[in-house]
Amino acid sequence: MTPNPILGCGIGLRFQHIDQILADKPPIPWLEILSDNYLTPGSVQQDYAIEVAEYYPVTLHGVGMSLGATEPFNDEYFQRLKSLADQVRPAWISDHLCWTAAHGWVSHDLLPLPYTEETIKHVVQRIREAQDRLERRLVIENVSSYLQYQESYLSEWEFLSAVAEEADCKLLLDVNNIYVSAFNHDFDPCKYLDSIPIERVQQFHLAGYEDKGTHLLDTHGQPVSDPVWGLYKLALQRFGALPTLIEWDNNIPSLEELLAEAHKATEAHIHAFA
Amino acid sequence: MPLLELQHSLIAALFQRDQLAEAAKFVKAQGSLSSEQRVGIYRNSAHGILLDYLESLYPVCLELVGTEFFGRTAHSFIDQMPPTRPFLADYGADFAAYLSAHPALQEMLWIVEVAKLEWARHAAWHTVNQVASDFTQLETLSAEQQAELRFQLPASAQLLSAHSPIHSIWLAHQDEYPDKPQFDEIDLEEAQQVLIFREQRRLHQTTLSPDDWAFLNAVQNQATMADLAEQFADQLPWLFSVAMQENWIYSFTTTPDETKPTRNS
Repeated sequence: MTPNPILGCGIGLRFQHIDQILADKPPIPWLEILSDNYLTPGSVQQDYAIEVAEYYPVTLHGVGMSLGATEPFNDEYFQRLKSLADQVRPAWISDHLCWTAAHGWVSHDLLPLPYTEETIKHVVQRIREAQDRLERRLVIENVSSYLQYQESYLSEWEFLSAVAEEADCKLLLDVNNIYVSAFNHDFDPCKYLDSIPIERVQQFHLAGYEDKGTHLLDTHGQPVSDPVWGLYKLALQRFGALPTLIEWDNNIPSLEELLAEAHKATEAHIHAFA
Repeated sequence: MPLLELQHSLIAALFQRDQLAEAAKFVKAQGSLSSEQRVGIYRNSAHGILLDYLESLYPVCLELVGTEFFGRTAHSFIDQMPPTRPFLADYGADFAAYLSAHPALQEMLWIVEVAKLEWARHAAWHTVNQVASDFTQLETLSAEQQAELRFQLPASAQLLSAHSPIHSIWLAHQDEYPDKPQFDEIDLEEAQQVLIFREQRRLHQTTLSPDDWAFLNAVQNQATMADLAEQFADQLPWLFSVAMQENWIYSFTTTPDETKPTRNS
């Protein structure tokens, strides 16, 4: 059976809202399930994910693949993710262009890569292996970053585009991440958007950041900011009305407030092509 | 510069403050932030993620010791015992043991016992589902088979024996219980035995009488029906009946426990 199509503007499934969603079945175009929270096979957590997927189109979005790491992949992680995917039948699986583990430690945070040709080769090989393990094409997301490495000589958009082309994967463009990184590293976010191959982009993310004075921090703890809405409109014009998702992980609001934020993205879809 | 070296250096800085300067050598200084400050943003971010997670695991401990003490202790725990698996739900099991070594808590070890209870709740929630036995089948067993019966608690069952009233302390910090005990009226010297288990999507937590505690421990240790009859004698029908009514017993097996020495061995 083919999964239902992912269309329009959805929200990230958060545990605080699951009972309400399952009880009321509100009209939500689609939901993104944070795969890392549902990876124990046969657990009650996974039961929830499976039940939600019975009523809504879903995607799986993770943070734990560690695609840019130099350590071998964690076999158990991929086995569990594949098992979850077999049960919830997501339209696609996404993770980040970053690394999270090294030296036997796991940061559970998204750490940036040096933007070099050597890193491209390494990450492309890893994404291909991940795609083989999961038997599907992956969707890769750009991360927000707060540092740049001495050895980086490519721009982030050159790096991201090259990885997507050579690994033959799709891209999840996080518009908030582009804005945050552009501020933190003083580059033009519009140039970033204009450099990404149109046919590679599958989805957008929107979220809120926090202004720390010296830098912007990607906190997912507040509404999408006005500059990010502006950048999102440019993204819609370039890439089309692609599926968009509101991420909100801290200070999680009511389901109604979250859906209202998703509705703003829907309105942007409509107005972008009016 | 090899990627491996860069990644080892940066992740070391996330969990060892004295490694920040070393990791900063890989990083550009930009604007008003030094390269070390930029690595520090990641250290704060990684610690922040894990602190938020530990606070969600140990909310009653957090209330008991306060945000500042909890934060300081959690940051120190994170540095000394960083996560080693990509499954965040596995992290934090050692936090109670870490608290137990804290000099400031030596006169308040009941807080450590509450931490153990909070981890037990987390562990019970994440235990895999299991299939319950059909207890009507018990009637079909021969007397010999019945004597060799072994029962199982729910796979999620956590039996805790504490020197302090951990269930009462935990209950006193739950907003949704209207009849909850007042914390300052709780006798912190009262020992309590507690059972935690999950039934579908509901977590149960209850105190046990000494007899129920002994019975459930015997069951968990795979005592046969014959063993239980010998140990609990006349009390057995009552103990068994309560355990069944409360869903403390979930399944049974008739297969002999091969790990147990036989009479002839």
